[in-house]
Amino acid sequence: MVRFKHFDASTIEEAVALLSKFEGRAKVIAGGTDIIGLYKDNILAKPYEALINIKNIPGLEEIKEEDGVLKVGALVRLEDIGHNSMIKEKYTALALAARYAASPHIREMGTLGGNVCQNSRCWYYRCPNNRFPCARKGGDECFADDGDNRYHSIFGDVKDCLAVNPSDTLPALIALGAKAVTSKRTLDVADMFPEKDPTRMTILDEDEIIIEFQIPEPVEGMKSSWKKFAIRKSIDFPIVNCACTVLINGDVVEDANICLNAVYYKPYVPTRAANYLKGKALDEESAETTGEAAVWGAKPLPMNEYKIHIAKGLVKQTLLACK
Amino acid sequence: MSEDVKIMEYEPLVRDRYIPEKFQFLGKRGISRMDGVEKAGGTAQYTRDVNLPGMLFCKVLASPYANALIKNVDTSKAEALPGVRAILRFDDPELQDKILLGENTKFNAGHIASDGQAFYHGKEELAVTQEQWIQGAGRVLDGFAWWEGAHSGVAIAAESLQIAEEAIRLVEIEWEERDVVLNPIEALKPGAPPAAPELNDGKNLLRKIRIEHGDAEKGFQDADKLIEFDIRRRPYTAADGEPMSNVILWRGDNLEIWAHQQQPYDGKCLLSAVTGIPLNKIKLHVPFQGCHFGHGGNPFMHHTHGFHVISAILSKRTGRPVKTLYNRRENFYGLSQDADSHTHFKVGFKDDGIITAVKIDNITAKMGQYGIDHFEDNTRIPNLLLNYVEAQTNFAPAWWMRCEQNHNSFCFSAVFAHVADALGMDPTQVALKNDGVGGKDMEYLSKFKKDHGFPDRDSLAEVIEKGKTAINWENKWHEAGKKMLPNGKLHGIGFTWDHEWDDNRGAASAGLIMHCDGTVDILAQKADDGVNPMTTNCEIVAEELGMKLKDVNWRFFEETGFQMMTPDGSCNLCTDAYVSCNMARKAKKTLLEYATTPVKLIEIEYPPAFPDHKPEDLDVKDSMVFVKADPENSVPVAEVVKRATLNQNGTQAPLFEWAYQRQGRYGCEEGRHRLCRQGYFAEVEVDPDTGEVDVKKIVSINDVGKALSPETCEGQQYGGAYMATGRVMGEEVIYDPKTGVRLNANLVDYKVATFRDIDKTENILVETGMGYGPYGLVGIGEDCATVIPFAVANAIQNAIGEWVDDHPATPNKVIQAIQKAKEKGVF
Repeated sequence: MVRFKHFDASTIEEAVALLSKFEGRAKVIAGGTDIIGLYKDNILAKPYEALINIKNIPGLEEIKEEDGVLKVGALVRLEDIGHNSMIKEKYTALALAARYAASPHIREMGTLGGNVCQNSRCWYYRCPNNRFPCARKGGDECFADDGDNRYHSIFGDVKDCLAVNPSDTLPALIALGAKAVTSKRTLDVADMFPEKDPTRMTILDEDEIIIEFQIPEPVEGMKSSWKKFAIRKSIDFPIVNCACTVLINGDVVEDANICLNAVYYKPYVPTRAANYLKGKALDEESAETTGEAAVWGAKPLPMNEYKIHIAKGLVKQTLLACK
Repeated sequence: MSEDVKIMEYEPLVRDRYIPEKFQFLGKRGISRMDGVEKAGGTAQYTRDVNLPGMLFCKVLASPYANALIKNVDTSKAEALPGVRAILRFDDPELQDKILLGENTKFNAGHIASDGQAFYHGKEELAVTQEQWIQGAGRVLDGFAWWEGAHSGVAIAAESLQIAEEAIRLVEIEWEERDVVLNPIEALKPGAPPAAPELNDGKNLLRKIRIEHGDAEKGFQDADKLIEFDIRRRPYTAADGEPMSNVILWRGDNLEIWAHQQQPYDGKCLLSAVTGIPLNKIKLHVPFQGCHFGHGGNPFMHHTHGFHVISAILSKRTGRPVKTLYNRRENFYGLSQDADSHTHFKVGFKDDGIITAVKIDNITAKMGQYGIDHFEDNTRIPNLLLNYVEAQTNFAPAWWMRCEQNHNSFCFSAVFAHVADALGMDPTQVALKNDGVGGKDMEYLSKFKKDHGFPDRDSLAEVIEKGKTAINWENKWHEAGKKMLPNGKLHGIGFTWDHEWDDNRGAASAGLIMHCDGTVDILAQKADDGVNPMTTNCEIVAEELGMKLKDVNWRFFEETGFQMMTPDGSCNLCTDAYVSCNMARKAKKTLLEYATTPVKLIEIEYPPAFPDHKPEDLDVKDSMVFVKADPENSVPVAEVVKRATLNQNGTQAPLFEWAYQRQGRYGCEEGRHRLCRQGYFAEVEVDPDTGEVDVKKIVSINDVGKALSPETCEGQQYGGAYMATGRVMGEEVIYDPKTGVRLNANLVDYKVATFRDIDKTENILVETGMGYGPYGLVGIGEDCATVIPFAVANAIQNAIGEWVDDHPATPNKVIQAIQKAKEKGVF
């Protein structure tokens, strides 16, 4: 394992100060289930010099509903979210996403903040000893382009990078309209991603940390769901995942939100597909059509056309699960 | 073909068909595993746990290129790193004659290693070593690499693992990259770049074999129907529990080695042959091993043997113990045989399901199994033709990986499944109609069983009957692609079968000593591979000797001069169990003689425990010697021994016996027919929207002859079902197509099945007593994971109505099959 310095922060301010001091050469560590891998496998040409441990900062591990808002601290473990009865009942998509991410062991350590901010799983990016110095690392080539791209983007590249965002919880948070409260600002989770910069997973500044996520209480009658497709039923990152919220009024859909992930460099919100569904009855046919609309404009790579089929199917099934 | 079938001789095979009416331990449930507390409690010691005073850590450079030559090595920065103690370069003079195998080897292919490899002086046994050599195995440390991850360039010993890793990163190497070829068919095309220029004259063609039994062309002419199809099995591996490691320490000119290795005595012999250290100056320790699945044991892989040489040299030079170890990625390169097999089948059969001829054209990378063997072993099919080609590619070497029968079983299952599908016939019926051996039918096999004292039972029929009931086959089996469930998913159910086999191609020996407190030690070394050999062999000794189980022990980690067969538990039990059984019987005889024979020592006569009886008047049970006619008249075994030997080496020699047993090559010499069968049923649901496959149920039915430890057998069925599910659903070693770099050498991206990947397993044991081991046993450990994949593949085809003929059946292929089925209007 590559060496690094380790600092324990006891307050948010301390963590921010340390991050600021290292000027981009430090990262926070919470559960560590993602970031330690960077060191063990020596993935980066220049590893981060320091890790700032935020696990001891009080107040970041709470789950509470206040004034019509669910507040989940950034350090809340995925396993706790997945088994929380209030979240299961009212914010079902989030509970499912947290419950079926990774494996029980990882969920006991992995945090919601970490799952949202986690790094790419592209196997070229992750190949040990920086074997492939790719566009995501500041290089000028995407090795997946004419390599093995079975798990990569179906909606094109971002500045030559075809890697996808691997988070299970992000589509649920976005479909539920979540905001992220950081040490500097509050922003929609859907707006957390850079537009044209594959070297970063989020737009958070180098000295910015997430404090909590806030999710508005669903309106009466709104249902949400989440589904994941992976080869294995545990451990695996998604090949495709999908979260939906649906509000049915009478016989028709009054409101719907759809978010796919692991299909693009950031979570993919097929707004037109969701809009198509509004005003229609939710049934097999409309759900299937919505699924087809959700993947409109997909640009499959030589090895990943199958992901388009899966995405279509997941949108259909996740919508019907909200019925 | 039937006229070529040989009949086995009675000798040297010893069979024990007698099963006592009442076993105390054998065949019983609820026997605690003797190694259970250590393993479950985390105190079991593995090779990686061995830490010796002053020990150094060694890392070996893994080539970043799949085909490259080292032009220059600069180790100056590594040498300057504090904590680095020694660097071994590939061009070191001491390494120049230390290739493990090859044309120049001094390795004695006539050597018989008792832990699993019986190598004879025959040409075909040498071919085993040669086929490994020419695919690139048997290396120590090279100045070139033929696969990404190969040991190349340098090995560095340092004060800590971290320093060693850092030092490796500081070594500057100038590489000359060469063209990479990954596909065996591409490798064999004219003009293809040599995958290993330094080997085999740079030729990519490794082996070409043709085998024919009967007359395949005539068989096709006799058929009512012919089918042809292709299947590809992509490369896969096994995720063994503990990555490779060793520790080596010199004491004077004696070498001690702790080896994580499936066949450690073979490793010792190879180390001796390569280094010139005589066997009596190498002391071997084999801590607990974890699972290997073959990966960690093959005698020709440098990662199990080459790095013993590296550790030995570095330890000698530094005067300190050296531990060389792999991380998960480094360990994850060896492939199962049939590495990327492209197989074309042509099959002829009658309308009633009798198969008249099978032709297999098999092109595989590195090393494979032919694909024809099981048709020879357990069918009445008279006409078989195999054309088999091995090609060099820039994959790592392939080896027998749980098990070497993978491709034989794969091809066998594929043929039977496609025939049944083509006929629209129940696959269990196709199986029963073609059961037999060597082209002969069940009538012949029945006579063979009677002639040789086996029970005359139809193992396959019994297996199928039990399996059908367990899965409700009669109500669930349906035409392919024709059953959609209320949940919108496609239902599929599949079956496959094979003979039940074991790995008895070697020899075993062990000693038994009774201490003067009456407790018993089994004296033999064995790598703890396979499941539960420790307890099972103690049970055999206890049973045969009449001891309480708690009075028998076997700590098999150290050398005693005897070696039991490795690498397996059940699959070597045919050999090992004879040793345990026979030496225990001898020991009992001696014990009863001690109990009745006075000991004369100079002027004094020491009376025995039973002075007025003869040995035949006595018996032993629960560690008590007793008079058969008067069981109350009993004396503890300890008392008998104490009187006889007076605290060991006293009045007479300690009670010590030993036994040796040799069984045939690959567990079945010619004419030693396979009598036991195994069958598997699988049930799946396939989502037509997404292609997701849910494995709902796997039923395993294994005729193990006699289950000495039922829970152990069931554990193998259970674990084998999971390993098989991984293999059929997702296990594939994935290489970057341009560079040959492994992309998924980790446990996240290499898809070993998890507990959630099968809803339910049901494990059924059949005990016909028709195994060649004592008590009529045969193995199980190698079987389930090897045969079950195609049961699941058949179930997927039954669900969709189209074959996925490219394994593993990953989502892209399942979706393609669904689309094809939809286009054909299947559902």
